[in-house]
Amino acid sequence: MKRTIPLIITLLVGLFMIGEFFIPHYRYRIWTAEFLEWGLILAAAAFVLGLVNLVQVNLPKVLRREEDWGYKLVMLLSLVLTLIAGFLGGDARSEAGHLYHWIYDFVFVPLNATMFALLAFYIASAAFRAFRARNLEAALLLTAAILVMVARVPAGENLPVIGDILPRIMNWIMDVPNTAARRAIFIGAALGAVATGLRVILGLERSHLGAD
Amino acid sequence: MLRLLQRFQALDRRWVFLGMAISILVPLLYPVSFSFKVDERVRSLYDAVEELPAGSTVLVSADFDPASRPELEPFFRANLDHLFRKDVKVVVLSLWEYAPPLVVPILDEIATRDHKEYGKDYVFLGYKPGKELAIKAIGENIPKTFPTDSRGTPIGQIPIMQGFKQARDFPLLINVSAGFPGTREYVLQIQGQYDLRIASACTAVSAPDYIPFYKAGQLVGLSGGMPGSAQYEKLVYPEGPPAGVRLLGMQAINVLNLGHLYIIGLIVLGNLAFFLTRRVET
Amino acid sequence: MEVALTSVDIAGAWVSIFLTLCILSFLYADNPIYKLAEHLFIGVSIGISLTETWYGVFRPNLVDKLLAGNLLSIVPLAMCLMLGMKVVGIFAPAAGKKLGWLARIPIAFVVAAYAGVKLTGEANANLMTQVAQSMPDLHTLWIEHGLWDWSADGAGVISGIFLVVGLSACLLHFYFSSPHGPAMRVVSRFGVLVLMLSFGASFGYTVMGRISLAIGRAQELLGLDRSAAQAAQVHPRIASVLSLVVVVLILVIWRLRERRPQAGA
Repeated sequence: MKRTIPLIITLLVGLFMIGEFFIPHYRYRIWTAEFLEWGLILAAAAFVLGLVNLVQVNLPKVLRREEDWGYKLVMLLSLVLTLIAGFLGGDARSEAGHLYHWIYDFVFVPLNATMFALLAFYIASAAFRAFRARNLEAALLLTAAILVMVARVPAGENLPVIGDILPRIMNWIMDVPNTAARRAIFIGAALGAVATGLRVILGLERSHLGAD
Repeated sequence: MLRLLQRFQALDRRWVFLGMAISILVPLLYPVSFSFKVDERVRSLYDAVEELPAGSTVLVSADFDPASRPELEPFFRANLDHLFRKDVKVVVLSLWEYAPPLVVPILDEIATRDHKEYGKDYVFLGYKPGKELAIKAIGENIPKTFPTDSRGTPIGQIPIMQGFKQARDFPLLINVSAGFPGTREYVLQIQGQYDLRIASACTAVSAPDYIPFYKAGQLVGLSGGMPGSAQYEKLVYPEGPPAGVRLLGMQAINVLNLGHLYIIGLIVLGNLAFFLTRRVET
Repeated sequence: MEVALTSVDIAGAWVSIFLTLCILSFLYADNPIYKLAEHLFIGVSIGISLTETWYGVFRPNLVDKLLAGNLLSIVPLAMCLMLGMKVVGIFAPAAGKKLGWLARIPIAFVVAAYAGVKLTGEANANLMTQVAQSMPDLHTLWIEHGLWDWSADGAGVISGIFLVVGLSACLLHFYFSSPHGPAMRVVSRFGVLVLMLSFGASFGYTVMGRISLAIGRAQELLGLDRSAAQAAQVHPRIASVLSLVVVVLILVIWRLRERRPQAGA
């Protein structure tokens, strides 16, 4: 029963949502809309579980003064402060003058943006240390990369003689070989997704139910 | 000679980082401007907006965060200005939880500048989690998915939302997409099912993935990364920006010149050292 | 007319610049101020996520509907509570053992819903549409562009044939159900070369994207993302220099303290 009921629900809901694509009848659509709304709520609820897990893992470490407990305390305090600021701010929380807005603009934005900005430096390091034209395939990859890097920037477009040709070659690469390769990957991934989706709905794939 | 080449290849990466930093800072401090052309894909996107009659309403899905701001915010600002100047109404929503605090101030700023009224000329419906399910729900029934806007006003009381129940009720859907969920999910989930006209502004990383969608007619226009945003700004402001408007895309595009040259230089030098080392060793 | 910045906003701008440099200090080495900024980031980002999730879905789609008397909303509420059984075991192990299985019901619901929508979405958009669009209309291409139209970035019959041949070669390269014979190996190699062109172009775009992100940060450090009036109030370049000095000092102190026990030993 503990596995049978979830498997039956998987089958029924899965088939129902597949039917959503084909059946336009309004009575059917009333229920698909309802199911979709329930799915949104559950997706959000799963996120709250993640929060509980985060607190459950880190709070004991803080209380026991384990290694790096100071950092974890900062994490938990900032989490609580942001939540308080958000709930106190109400619907106007994103407007200037609210603590939530301040935290977002002056703490979250620079941290989030800079975390990803680090990638620019690591890509430079990778370009220097790892990208070697050891064979034809790698040489072709690097040639295409260099061509795109030159042709995509204004300075490249303004080069004498080749400035007009390079963007055309780049556009051809994007429109033809890139499209061919991506389509092949999409088609392969789509076949895999269809197969996996069917396996889940038919109960052949049960990993989402966990162990007994 | 061999030792020199080996030491060069084993160069501490922090020197490489420093070089990258210099190649970004120098063009910002001493800007050099080159002209640039507009892609056919960006022009298609611009034309799709230009074709909209005054008084129509578009749906904008603003799915980006601070990390993708340099690439997408210039487009988002120019696009809002473009739509408002054409007297096109804008319904904005988001599938990314970090987007609303970023989107709301920009939307309010540009709407105020263009003398637009909240609720009549534009609205922000808020954020919905759920990724593909949320997109499916938007295609299916927007009032059910967004019972209120971001300010808590019931959707039935918002003038701009009267008569709009599904995504296909809008003549155009513009997706400002930084990743997942984004343009790919919109195309997969609802573009084909409802035969939607979707235009996308995406990050440079995603652009190669979305070009097949554009070639297949699943997207009516595509702006990729900072160059795409700069090109769109160029189309929207052909005579330069109005007073008080900064075109961040056009400001930043020429900084890429030296950055790309630096990366190309690193690749070339690294390969040169590698092949010379192999030659000397044999 | 620009509104003057408040002292809170100016302080915030300086905090923003300092935090930017804290994260950038990771380029030197993993260090305490980076770790502090990183943990601050995690806490704040989860707080923001939860806040937006409450206002975005829990309040309008669940709480408001329940308060308005919508009985059907009891179903998602019940499923949320069932999902909560997953964490009951942490606080009450016996109850968790007995009731933990209930969490499978909402999980099954969500997984099935995603599987259903993904299946039809992928089949329609990626399989049907992409395959259909890959059949080149050679007649139309010939009329519009001839064999090769340089002014249209190489559009024409040759490109049309290249696209479908390249696509087929890439698909055959990923066919592993039986060993590749000599003919298949040639086709597969061609597929790999097409893939390399695509990945190379992807890499070029990726470099562009990553550098763009760094440009954004540099613009803030130099005050170029603000108007001249705002920059005159914030003094971002002074803030950047001072923050850099503080960060470097902290790194130097940290390095010296790290080396001291080694020197003692």
